[in-house]
This record gives sequence, structure tokens and C-alpha cells, in this order.
Amino acid sequence: MEDWFAWVLIVGLGLGAFLTRAVFVMPGSHLRLPPTAERVLRYAPAAAIMAIIVPELAFTHGALSVSIENPRLVAGLVAFGIAAATRSILLTIAGGMLVLALVRFLAG
Amino acid sequence: MTRDQISSLRDGALAAVPLLIGIVPWGIVAGVAMVSAGLTKGQAVGMSLIVFAGTAQLAVLPLLIAKAPLWVMYATALVVNLRYVIYSAVLAPYFERLSWAWRALLSYITVDQIFAVFVGKYQPSDADPHKHWYFLGGSLVMWSAWQTASLVGIFAGALIPHEWSLEFAAALSLIAILMPLLFDRAVVCAALAAGGVSLAAAEWPLNVGLLAATAAGVAVGLAVARLSSTNEGRG
Repeated sequence: MEDWFAWVLIVGLGLGAFLTRAVFVMPGSHLRLPPTAERVLRYAPAAAIMAIIVPELAFTHGALSVSIENPRLVAGLVAFGIAAATRSILLTIAGGMLVLALVRFLAG
Repeated sequence: MTRDQISSLRDGALAAVPLLIGIVPWGIVAGVAMVSAGLTKGQAVGMSLIVFAGTAQLAVLPLLIAKAPLWVMYATALVVNLRYVIYSAVLAPYFERLSWAWRALLSYITVDQIFAVFVGKYQPSDADPHKHWYFLGGSLVMWSAWQTASLVGIFAGALIPHEWSLEFAAALSLIAILMPLLFDRAVVCAALAAGGVSLAAAEWPLNVGLLAATAAGVAVGLAVARLSSTNEGRG
């Protein structure tokens, strides 16, 4: 990767992260979000994060693999359960990685 | 600083301590992921300091590996960051009397967890003139922990054997981050729809599948919210 490309990416992401956090705080006025806009803003991050996670779990070597022999899928589903039950990032990562290792070990 | 300001700063910092157990592993994972996506150590440190948005960083890195166009990476990060727009709207009345520099600092340093703690503790109308010090104290603890953990991941990540698949921990940390965002039935439906579409759209060119899946998810979420509010209206 070209050096300039990486820095354009980083600075652009930095601007985006700052502007989304500053958009109402910096003007300092009592702007109100319309309810529909607020819904879109609430649903979009959850939808986007899910759309990142699902292919990471379901694809192995570029092919869809929905099976108990797909270690990432099994580990990811267990991690969903742990996250829902504990709300702990640490336990979710640790439990998921443990299951990943276990399924790989059992699959030989 | 007056004694009251220091006291608010310290209270905020102490409130952040229990949250460290979540942010530290997440920061290490982000540090490892940045380097394994092909960023140099200097670029990774720069990203950690300049962007300071872990979810957006973890969302963009797989796209960087897949050589997606710049605009797709920007758009993806923006979608993930839209939750900050809500935070900004909620926080604006709390901070409206502060100077420009204060508001810029508090904007840069806003993180999900401190936002939640702060809004739970204070009302915008509270007379307490030092509530921004509380916010700063908590945020500084999170910022320092995140930067330190990222540095550990960036510089010590190479010591971790490749067979451990530590990059998978990035997906796992996103699962943990997703959970608190699933606060009602409509948003759960939005997420499920987005997950389904993301499978169908995974092979689409330019990696726009994620954006298409997000748009489909939002549409489903809005439809479900409208349906359930109509039902409540009848009942």
C-alpha cells in the first residue's frame, strides 16, 4: 500500500469520526433531530456491524459454509450467546477464541 | 483548577475504571488488526490517535485488506459512526456554555461507554457547573487505556503466533459491541435483515455489499417500527 494512500484514509476517517461527534455539540444550539432521522441513525450502526460480522463467520476460503464444521461460525454463534448473557467484551472474546480452538482441535 | 473541578474530574475517572476490562482487550485486538491489514507501525499509531473510533477502525480494516475503494471505506466508517450523531445531539445542551476549545476536545474524546454513564448521571438542566470535568475525567481514562492497548497490539502483536487467528478476535469484539445497540425489536429485525443481505451481497463488486445490507437493514427496521406503532395505536 502506498504511504500517501494510508494517510489519506487515516485523515479522512479521523475527520469523519470527529465531525459525527461534533455535529451538534460544536454549534451549541438546541437543534432537535426529527424522530425518523433519529430512528435511521439508531438502526444504521447496528445493521452495519451485523453486516460486517455475518460474512466473517459464514465464509471460509471465500465460500459460504453453514455447517457445524465451520469453526468461525460455531465460535461466533457461541460468542453471540455469551455477549447477550454477560454484556462483557472480555468474556465474549475469550469464549469465542476458546470455542474456535476447540472446534479446530476436534475437527483435527 | 479548583478543588471542585478536580473532584469532578476524579469522580469521572473512577467511574471509568470498571469499563477498562472491556476496552483493553478491544484496543489490543484493534492494534493487531491494523498492522495485519498492512499499515506500518507509524500509520497504525497515527490511526489510533487521529481516528480514535474503534468500531469504525475494525469495520474498515477488512475492506483495506480486500483493496476496496477509498469512498467505500469512508462510507462504511460513516455508517458505523452515525450513532455519534445521536450522542452529539443529546450532549449539545450539556456543553452549550463551554468554550469552542472545550467543545472540540469533548467531541473528539466521546466514547460510547462514557456517554452512557454521563447521561445516566446528569440532566442538561443540572446546576452542577463542573459536569464537563466529570465527562473529561472518564473520557481521558478511556482514551489513555485505548491508546496504550493499541500500542501493545501494534508493537507486541507480531509476537502472537499466526495460528491463534487473533484477527478473529476483531469479529468477536464487534459482536460484543453490537449487543447494547440491539435495544428493541425493530433494531433486532434491522440487524437480522442486514446480516441476511450481507451474505447475498458478499460477492458484489467494490465491497458495496455492506452498504447495501445496511440500507436494507434500516428499511426493515423502519418498517417494523411503523408496524408495531400502528398495532399499539389499535390496541
